[in-house]
Amino acid sequence: MNSLAVEPGSTVAYPTGDWRNQRPVYRDKWPPCGQTCPAEEDIQVWLGLASDRQWEAAWRALTERNPLPAVMGRVCYHPCERACNRTHLDGPVNIHGVERHLGDLALEHGWRHHLLTEQPQTQQVAVVGTGPAGLSCAFQLARRGYPVTLFDARSTPGGTLSSGIPGYRLPKSVLQGEIDAILALGIQLKLNTRIGVEIGADTLREEFAAVFLAVGALQPRTYPDDGYGGHSVMTGVDFLRRINDGERLSLPKHVAVIGGGNTAIDAARCARRLGAEVTVVCPQDPHGSHGGHPGAEMPASLDEVIQAEAEGVRLRYRVGVRRLVRSGAHLSGVEIARVDQIHDRHGRFNPVLFEGTEEFLPAGLAVFAIGQEVDWRGLEALVEPRASSVFIGGDAAGQPRFAATAVGSGYQAAMSIIAFLTGAPSQYRHHDKAEVTFRDIKPQYYPKQVRREGELMVASPGGFSERVAGLDGDAALVEAGRCLSCGVCFACDNCWHFCPDAAVIKQMGGYRIDYDYCKGCGICAAECPCGHIDMEREAG
Amino acid sequence: MDTRDTFRHNVLTSGHRACSGCGEAMAARMVVDLIGPDAIYVNATGCLQVFTTHNQQSAWQAPWIHSVFANAAAVASGVEAALRARGKDTPVVVQAGDGGTFDIGLQCLSGMIERGHDVLFVCYDNEAYMNTGVQRSSSTPHAVRTTTTPPGRLSEGKHHLKKDLISIIAAHQMPYAATATVAYFPDLKAKVEKAMRIKGPRFLHVLSPCPLGWDHDAALSVTVARLAVETGLFPLIEMEYGAVTGVMRLARQRPVEEYLKLQGRFKHLFADKEGAAEIRHLQALADANIRRYGLLDARTEWDTDRAVQAQRQGRGGYAVSPKETSL
Amino acid sequence: MRQLLEGSRAVVEAVRLCRPQVIAAYPITPQTHIIEHLAQFVADGDLPAGFINAESEFGAASVVLGAVAGGARAFTATASQGLLLMTEVLYNIAGMRLPLVMVCANRAVSAPINIFSDHQDSMSVRDAGWVQLYVESNQEAVDTVIQAYRIAETCELPVMVCMDGFFLTHTFEPVEIPEQAAVDEFLPPFHFARTLNPAQPMTLGGGSEPDNYLEFRAAQHQAMEQASEVIAAIDLDFGDHFGRSYGGLAEPYRLEGADTVMVTLGSTMGAVRDAADTLRGNGMPVGAVRLRCFRPFPAQALIHCLAGAKRVVVLEKAFSAGMGGIVSTELRAALHQAGMPIPVESFIGGLGGRDLTPAVIEEIFHLAASGKDFATSRFAGLDTGAMPSIEET
Repeated sequence: MNSLAVEPGSTVAYPTGDWRNQRPVYRDKWPPCGQTCPAEEDIQVWLGLASDRQWEAAWRALTERNPLPAVMGRVCYHPCERACNRTHLDGPVNIHGVERHLGDLALEHGWRHHLLTEQPQTQQVAVVGTGPAGLSCAFQLARRGYPVTLFDARSTPGGTLSSGIPGYRLPKSVLQGEIDAILALGIQLKLNTRIGVEIGADTLREEFAAVFLAVGALQPRTYPDDGYGGHSVMTGVDFLRRINDGERLSLPKHVAVIGGGNTAIDAARCARRLGAEVTVVCPQDPHGSHGGHPGAEMPASLDEVIQAEAEGVRLRYRVGVRRLVRSGAHLSGVEIARVDQIHDRHGRFNPVLFEGTEEFLPAGLAVFAIGQEVDWRGLEALVEPRASSVFIGGDAAGQPRFAATAVGSGYQAAMSIIAFLTGAPSQYRHHDKAEVTFRDIKPQYYPKQVRREGELMVASPGGFSERVAGLDGDAALVEAGRCLSCGVCFACDNCWHFCPDAAVIKQMGGYRIDYDYCKGCGICAAECPCGHIDMEREAG
Repeated sequence: MDTRDTFRHNVLTSGHRACSGCGEAMAARMVVDLIGPDAIYVNATGCLQVFTTHNQQSAWQAPWIHSVFANAAAVASGVEAALRARGKDTPVVVQAGDGGTFDIGLQCLSGMIERGHDVLFVCYDNEAYMNTGVQRSSSTPHAVRTTTTPPGRLSEGKHHLKKDLISIIAAHQMPYAATATVAYFPDLKAKVEKAMRIKGPRFLHVLSPCPLGWDHDAALSVTVARLAVETGLFPLIEMEYGAVTGVMRLARQRPVEEYLKLQGRFKHLFADKEGAAEIRHLQALADANIRRYGLLDARTEWDTDRAVQAQRQGRGGYAVSPKETSL
Repeated sequence: MRQLLEGSRAVVEAVRLCRPQVIAAYPITPQTHIIEHLAQFVADGDLPAGFINAESEFGAASVVLGAVAGGARAFTATASQGLLLMTEVLYNIAGMRLPLVMVCANRAVSAPINIFSDHQDSMSVRDAGWVQLYVESNQEAVDTVIQAYRIAETCELPVMVCMDGFFLTHTFEPVEIPEQAAVDEFLPPFHFARTLNPAQPMTLGGGSEPDNYLEFRAAQHQAMEQASEVIAAIDLDFGDHFGRSYGGLAEPYRLEGADTVMVTLGSTMGAVRDAADTLRGNGMPVGAVRLRCFRPFPAQALIHCLAGAKRVVVLEKAFSAGMGGIVSTELRAALHQAGMPIPVESFIGGLGGRDLTPAVIEEIFHLAASGKDFATSRFAGLDTGAMPSIEET
């Protein structure tokens, strides 16, 4: 019956959804930071938590994929920041700064990792190598209940993190703190144990249900010329290891470091700290000269290069060493020349030099940091042929030799090992979500904010104590808040406010579209700041 | 009653018959949810009334009354007088379109303000008579194509200028009159909340894009409103007792073409040199607004960048905690 | 208490006794004294109501519309152009079935502009859906205002109390003003079921469609028809309470054995009574009926009154141009429908305040009794030589 007073809200009996020919869909995208992160960290997630001051939750989200945030926040060359869409607005988010802050907070507060299961597993796993790959793999296995034994030939754990990275970049206490937190999951650590020497490869294979080889690539690539050894020619790996082991080397006045990677820069800065005049002989062009094209620009982290130059390290770009110039038993310098091509026809690193461009660079020590290879000695029984229970990761797997890559590799290996041990498919999922470019971002919703940097410590430009300060809590909060949250809802309420049809329902943990009423206007998608909403065509 | 949303009341809820992308539905939903269900709403005839009440169905979840086109302000005066006579302080809110405000409703509105009724009058301005098929009103801007100001051999659309209503309203020496738009929710929210704190007659003029009448993509209703402000064509201002007390500073001034080119109602201006002259005229009008209100150099808390920022967890919005179930 | 009061003042006393909470008005002659007195009452604290000086009659009607919807008993008054300006709202009030009382100080309608009394204003809005009660005296005006509130609130219909401008509004008569307690007993406190209320939200005045508009309108018509009984009953009940009643829908006068019966409305009835008395004294069998309730049209009550008449003459102060007398037209239809072939003559008179003296009325009675030409309405007292012509201008 008709009434003079109509029931409130009674239009809900009239679903307007059938007016629609397109529908909005909430869809998580894969932000470019996470997409480029070699450890596949869900960076946007932990930045989001950090921006809500949920520091510990952020740390836990981060350590899902990377148990070494304090380390990685310092040493990772953060490709995430190069990919960050905020670059097009006012500068990338200082992701590594927030990562480091989270890692440092965990160390400061003694946050412990949680086991993911109460159910202990019985199958023993051996992890050979305590570098980032080994630690990452051991961590992922241990928190899933597997008894893990870590082996390392050296007397200190950490692999390259310990032997290759100078203390001014990564204080030993930070590395040790994060390793301790990982070991606290119940991992056995056997140091000074080289496979094939202290323990046989066969024994290893027999005693452990699975073996993960993360032995790194510690065998330095050598210069074709003779004369390695002695005091006048060294590899970067050895040079750094000796310094990191506490040896105070006495250096000649001039040192030449050959190479364009982080090892070269580390070696150069260490040499500089020991008082030498240092020149880096870099075969590539400087950063930015080829629009970021890999291979043509020096691979070392730009921040490190800037700091090295600030410390007085000289860089010579696109030059290679033609020969070592000796004066008796001692090196007097290197002859360098302009590089024509960096790679040969087969794509191998093999600089070709222009004749007639030679010049003399005085040097009493030449440090060659031109790459490393895997040392398989002692492991042959495990890898030739490779048994199905043997897994290889990190630098040893021939991947790009970055710490974060090793961390990611360790995670993948752990998932493969569990799949092998259980017979179930691997739980490892590569993110296959759509990418978000700056075109999907609505910049008007993000007010400009200047990026905060960790300050350079002026007190110790020449020492081995830490060079760059972390972000303080406020700065970390601001930086986390600068995240555009590309492609991932950050609950800004825009869709909810703007929907003319009240077809967006807010609920705990997000929103849902009520398709009974959505007319498909597309305003929600047009005004979604981060590109989380897609419009899909519908029939009719 | 519809209780789908636990975070807001949906005072204007789903199932209404507004066009897809309707700026007025959006504006009204924002305003009424900011005010809440504990108020009495009086509506003039117009799109909002037509699309929210239909054949024994109502999209309103608060007491709501519609009488005729011209009299909403007078009806509200009566409702308010009745409530006060009965010792109740329930807020009374009028909602009307530009026709019901600028034109046919102006007399009743003037009377309501002059008599000092404790009523908030909200005008959702879509700049023409949209409900009847896009005829010009005194709110229609200069050079706009409507069905009664068609461009033709002798015409570039509406000859006359948009009525400066806010000045007329403010000249009543009333406590609060402000302009707002859907594109700047935090600003709209602040203005509604401020208006609701003030006793006496208050006026809110909300620019509400109309995909049908403005002939723009339905998805662009917010974008177009934002450009109306950023070009200077629709200044966001606050007036108290006749004086300008607040403006939204423009972080940057955009050329009017950016606004005009998105809308079919200005399409004819891009066709010939007479149209180009009208574009220059519209630019001059925008520039005049900017000078008049100091839109580029005012010292303000917000500007057009700050006022749209989307904050995590809806901190810039309303109802950040679940609504009280008692209501 | 019996007092010598101007009609407007007397009406205001009645309004006050009904305890309205909101009064809205816009001044127009001859309604002005009513709202001036009300304003003074409110200003003196004798009437605790909101007094809203509207910006027009359109606004005034809208204000009281809102007031009723807001849960308050409301009052307004107007006349002539003001009533016409209200027209849109009058229909709306009736369609929304809002119980409201308005006094119409009946006045002619422009052009030419004329401030004096006839019934063209209220008759012009006869289709709006308002109950229309026409009063003969100031006492009846007082009593009918009180009755009107009870009718309105019983039937959820708006009621217009029509009192002739100047003839009643500006004339002093002795009037009995009821006691407040007695009025309170007769008229319950205001209650409107569809009051706007956040605790029980509802939508008033929403849209309708071809598939239900007809039902709303038919229901409104039915409510008006059913109001007839209520109006009559309330008048009787008023009589029980106060000792005065007015015949309910139609008031007969000297109908016993009357061949020629005059039907009229409002204050003209006084002169009609005098004329009838005179003619009866001369042995002419005439009588009269005062149509008190014009809407709803009380066909049954009129048929009942006119059952013994040989001819009927309607003396009316409004007409439909191009058609003629309004009441007579409706009466003819009612009698025809009832199968009563009584001739009905129509005299239109008293327009724009023209005096309808007993002598004029006696002449109309004689003309009617002669039985000539019942085809068209006639204008009583028309000076055909003074009629304007467009050819002469």
